[in-house]
Amino acid sequence: MARKAKRDLTMEEQLARGPMDFPFLMLVLLLLGIGLVMLFSASYYTAFRDSSPRVHNNPYFYVTNQAIYGAVGLAGMYIISKINYQRFRWMAPLLLGLSVVLLVLCYVPGLNAPINGVKRWLRVFLVFGPTYQPSEIAKVAVVLFFAARLCKRDTEKQLRFTKRTNTGRFLNWLEKIGFLELVPYGLVLVVVLGLVVFEYHVSGALLVAVGAVAVLFVSGISLRWFIGLGGAGVALVSLMYITTDYVKRKFSIWLDPWAADPQNEGFQFRQGMYSIASGGLLGRGLGESNQKYGFVPEPENDMIFSIVVEELGLVGAFAILVLFSLLILRGYWLALHARDKFGTLTIVGIITLLAAQVFFNIGVVTGMIPNTGIPLPFFSYGGTALMIHLAEMGMILSISRQIPAPRND
Amino acid sequence: MGSKYERGVGRGVVTTSATRGSHSKRSIFRRTLCLMAVCGLIMFIPIAWRLWDIAIVHQEEYQKMAARQWELDFSVSAQRGNIYDRNGNIMAMSATVYKLILSPKDLMLSVSNKDEDGHLLESSVYEAKVAARQDQMVEELMTLFPDLNREKVVKQVHATNVAYWEVKVNIEEEEKQVLQEYITQNKESSYLRLMTSTKRYYPYSSLAAQTLGFVNANGGAYGIEAVYNDLLEGVAGRVFTTRTAGGAERYNTYAGYIDAENGYNLTLTIDATIQSYMEKALEEGIEEYDIQNGAFCIAMDPKTGAVLGIASSPDFDPNSYSRIVNERLSGQIEEDTAAIFEKLKADNPENLSESELLAQAEKQARSDAQVTQWRNKAIDSRYEPGSTFKALVLAAALEEGLVSENDTFECTGSVMVPGYPEPIRCSSRKGHGHQTLAKAVGNSCNPAFIEIGSRLGKERFYQYFQAFGMMESTGIDLPGEASLAGAFWDLDKMTNVDLAVGSFGQRFEVTPLQMICGFATVINGGNLVKPYVVQSVSTQDGTIIQNTEPEIIRQVVSKQTSQRAADILEQVVTNGTGSNAYVAGYRIGGKTGSSEVKQEADHTIVSFMGYAPADDPKVIVLMAFDNPKVSEPGSHYSTTGRYISGGGMAGRKVGPLIAQILDYMGVEKIYSSEESAAVDVSMPKVTGSSLTDAQKTLAEKNLNCRTVGEGSTVSRQVPAAGASIPGGSTVILYLGEAAPEEVGTVPNVTGMTYEAAKNALEKEGFFMRSSGVPVYYGNSTTAERQSINGGETAAIGTVIDVRFFNEVEDSYVNIG
Repeated sequence: MARKAKRDLTMEEQLARGPMDFPFLMLVLLLLGIGLVMLFSASYYTAFRDSSPRVHNNPYFYVTNQAIYGAVGLAGMYIISKINYQRFRWMAPLLLGLSVVLLVLCYVPGLNAPINGVKRWLRVFLVFGPTYQPSEIAKVAVVLFFAARLCKRDTEKQLRFTKRTNTGRFLNWLEKIGFLELVPYGLVLVVVLGLVVFEYHVSGALLVAVGAVAVLFVSGISLRWFIGLGGAGVALVSLMYITTDYVKRKFSIWLDPWAADPQNEGFQFRQGMYSIASGGLLGRGLGESNQKYGFVPEPENDMIFSIVVEELGLVGAFAILVLFSLLILRGYWLALHARDKFGTLTIVGIITLLAAQVFFNIGVVTGMIPNTGIPLPFFSYGGTALMIHLAEMGMILSISRQIPAPRND
Repeated sequence: MGSKYERGVGRGVVTTSATRGSHSKRSIFRRTLCLMAVCGLIMFIPIAWRLWDIAIVHQEEYQKMAARQWELDFSVSAQRGNIYDRNGNIMAMSATVYKLILSPKDLMLSVSNKDEDGHLLESSVYEAKVAARQDQMVEELMTLFPDLNREKVVKQVHATNVAYWEVKVNIEEEEKQVLQEYITQNKESSYLRLMTSTKRYYPYSSLAAQTLGFVNANGGAYGIEAVYNDLLEGVAGRVFTTRTAGGAERYNTYAGYIDAENGYNLTLTIDATIQSYMEKALEEGIEEYDIQNGAFCIAMDPKTGAVLGIASSPDFDPNSYSRIVNERLSGQIEEDTAAIFEKLKADNPENLSESELLAQAEKQARSDAQVTQWRNKAIDSRYEPGSTFKALVLAAALEEGLVSENDTFECTGSVMVPGYPEPIRCSSRKGHGHQTLAKAVGNSCNPAFIEIGSRLGKERFYQYFQAFGMMESTGIDLPGEASLAGAFWDLDKMTNVDLAVGSFGQRFEVTPLQMICGFATVINGGNLVKPYVVQSVSTQDGTIIQNTEPEIIRQVVSKQTSQRAADILEQVVTNGTGSNAYVAGYRIGGKTGSSEVKQEADHTIVSFMGYAPADDPKVIVLMAFDNPKVSEPGSHYSTTGRYISGGGMAGRKVGPLIAQILDYMGVEKIYSSEESAAVDVSMPKVTGSSLTDAQKTLAEKNLNCRTVGEGSTVSRQVPAAGASIPGGSTVILYLGEAAPEEVGTVPNVTGMTYEAAKNALEKEGFFMRSSGVPVYYGNSTTAERQSINGGETAAIGTVIDVRFFNEVEDSYVNIG
């Protein structure tokens, strides 16, 4: 297909050929590069000690895989950034449908790859790695679907029902307080969250919910629904706290992690503390971590940030946090300047998701919140996650292309 | 612009055609800004605060805990130096061995507390699983090491709070390889580990055991191993680095290494061969004389003080130093156990049961026995030197010009000493009568020495006593020289009686080592030397860093005096109480000694001090046997029928021992005219020659002959030409048709005198080769043993070895 000359392009098409947001791209590349270096440092001993046929004592196993996924992901990011993001509007329901199908497939024996009884991975599927988590796709699908629908709120007429029947009057009242509007979103969320939660992937469900809530929040849904929802959540957790020992124990561990069994529940927490403390202000130096030699569990995954602090110190950790902060701020800045509401809501959803992952991961590492098992974007090892993160960045870049350049007058 | 539009839409159409989003553009902006603030900035505040709190505020506290889990600080053991004898034979060496460590704690942790699907197991199920694994481990260990105590293994495997249990130590390289393979194959490395350690080997096992000592967990514990521990053990190195969670050492830039410095090697003055001769002689003596309390022997170079060997019995094997090897000592344990048990039972404040008391008693008896076998009696015990001390008194008196070789002494069998109610007796009740100085020494005559002592007087006696080193430790480089507190009198309190009995070596105590050094002074030219056992200290590559030079402490008597005393002492062996130590060809000098132990009845220490060659002493030997068992109380004979005396017991062992040592050292035999007459000659061929020619030929060879038959030419001869027979023997020449018998019956010659024995044997066509005492000694010399017993048949012409023995009266004299 020959490239159309600029004069033949529609307005839309011309906008889609605009430049990507350079600062955002640079921040993504920086974090990706630093993440790759730190992954290598944190993972090579684990890989070297891992004699499973998959890793085969190859110290470069994690870093090569991550680099390949990263390269593929970057290519994907570029391609996605070239797509006119308006097309995501019609893609959104399809993507949601697809991700629901994939989530359902996770329950099909033979196709799923249960690890420790948890069915969140799907065996070799499509072009993704040997196993992958469909919940990663579900996150972005929900965000896109919600954004694509919610951006049309202003043009959506309120529903009217007959005032002659009680049902009609009740429905009119529900519409008036804004409940009926939320029903489709609620249904989608219930289906997706249900599927994810019952894979035993609570943290995945949490992130799906965070993305969805962020989009709902920004789209202008009345705050009372959030307050109500939050209240209900607190009530539910309180109820669980009172009724089940499991939650109670989790809470007590969270409140006083030093009292937990150092060899068991308290182990990961302690090792995280030890790593950060032995890093100190300036760190032990790149590659000089002691804690990665079998002390910190999964140093290449959820706990990678503790190794980062140990090697690069508080200074290095702060530098990385600043990069994340800048990426997030730049993301919201792009959301504010997006050409339309759809763009805004999409970026808000994606960036909030990213921010939540950063917060939850580092929160766990620093012992602020209970262990949730959320990886750190661009740092933790994980093919699906990395590629989907980069795809999401591609979407943001695609949206950034259509931001009109400021006038210089 | 946006806000105007929003406001306009916002209020106007509430009732008619309202859309779901109202003031949306503005609210989107606000809410996005809000999220931006929360996610882009506020969210990082608690994170940064937490990081600061951990990495800066609590850094030291957490870092310490962290360091505890990955710090690795261990010492690298240095190779302990070897100990060589004077010829470079290895007497002690170290080798790397391994020990197997089980961590019962890690064994428990190796059992997963989750089932196959990752669910936590119920605690009862988990415990059962752990117990099953532990039982399996017990079986595995018992299969690997069947000689382990199962009870102990079961107990240890279940001690799950323990992380270090030495299953087996001293595992050699080959067995270690097998175990390593086993551990790897069964994937047990998380709780079964092999660690290196070192083991001390003593290739000669019990040889010179007390001198070498041994090494226990704390290093050298006894003997040279203890004294030279600092030199031998070297300096342990140290590694401080970090480790992985699996315990593997990591090599990184933070690591520090200090190399271990290996210990030095020691070369001793001890000669393993001489030492073995000595130990064998002691062993034989103990058997022959039925010795109760062990024995000791020292051999030394009298001129330098270099100790050639120190033996002490009972001994032990330093390779397993706790084991009691000596049978007498094992028997002793049972006796002692019973005695201690009775004592404990009489005084039992804790009301222990009988079995507990018995166990306690046995433990104590065993540890007493261990200490006994570890002791070096030649150094850490004291004894009354008895008559051997007379040599020192003799030298002192000669030096002072108080006696001369021409002096004579009268002995009536006893003498009165002012201040003592009874006469002090001589060993010979009849008395030795009129005797020269040399004879008096040879007879070990007490009255003669009381006379010599009184000529010296207390002051001079005391001076010489001190000068001969009797009042100071020798300073040998071995541990445990006995304290001399109370071993001798104060000069102020010394009485005439003390002087009298001191003159023949009683009523004071010295260590055997002091005694041999004092005696050596008498015969080596008058110099008191400092004894030593370590000749040199060298590094592992053989560089000598320290060499011991002989040290003369002081000259006590002049060279001339020493020579005169040595001449007199030589006569003790050639013509006196020491005659049993005589060996033809070597000029052996010496002095006998017998002494009572702490005035216990019938507890005698018999000793002999011998040296050779008399004109240029190369070796001096002191040998003593402690407590030969008497046949009946008050008897002078042992249960084995020996006369209990230094000359009769120790002397008989020292003579051959010295000859053996001199042979080994390559000292040539030089025969006196009398001796060379008895030296073996080769029988010349005389058959076919005339009788007169034959007689002439034989006379040249110092052989006599008798003839059988008639004729003028010798037709046959006994023995055959070329046979080796002692000089002076009478060969048989057959004349004419006369022919010798093929075999004959050997006569019994034991108990006969030299001449009688010789004649008796030669009459039957045998020849006699004598050994033991000097052949020309008087009629008290009797044959004690013959190589072919009387009554047996042997080929005519056979040379029969006959050992002679002199019964000498030099036993201990009880002076109350």
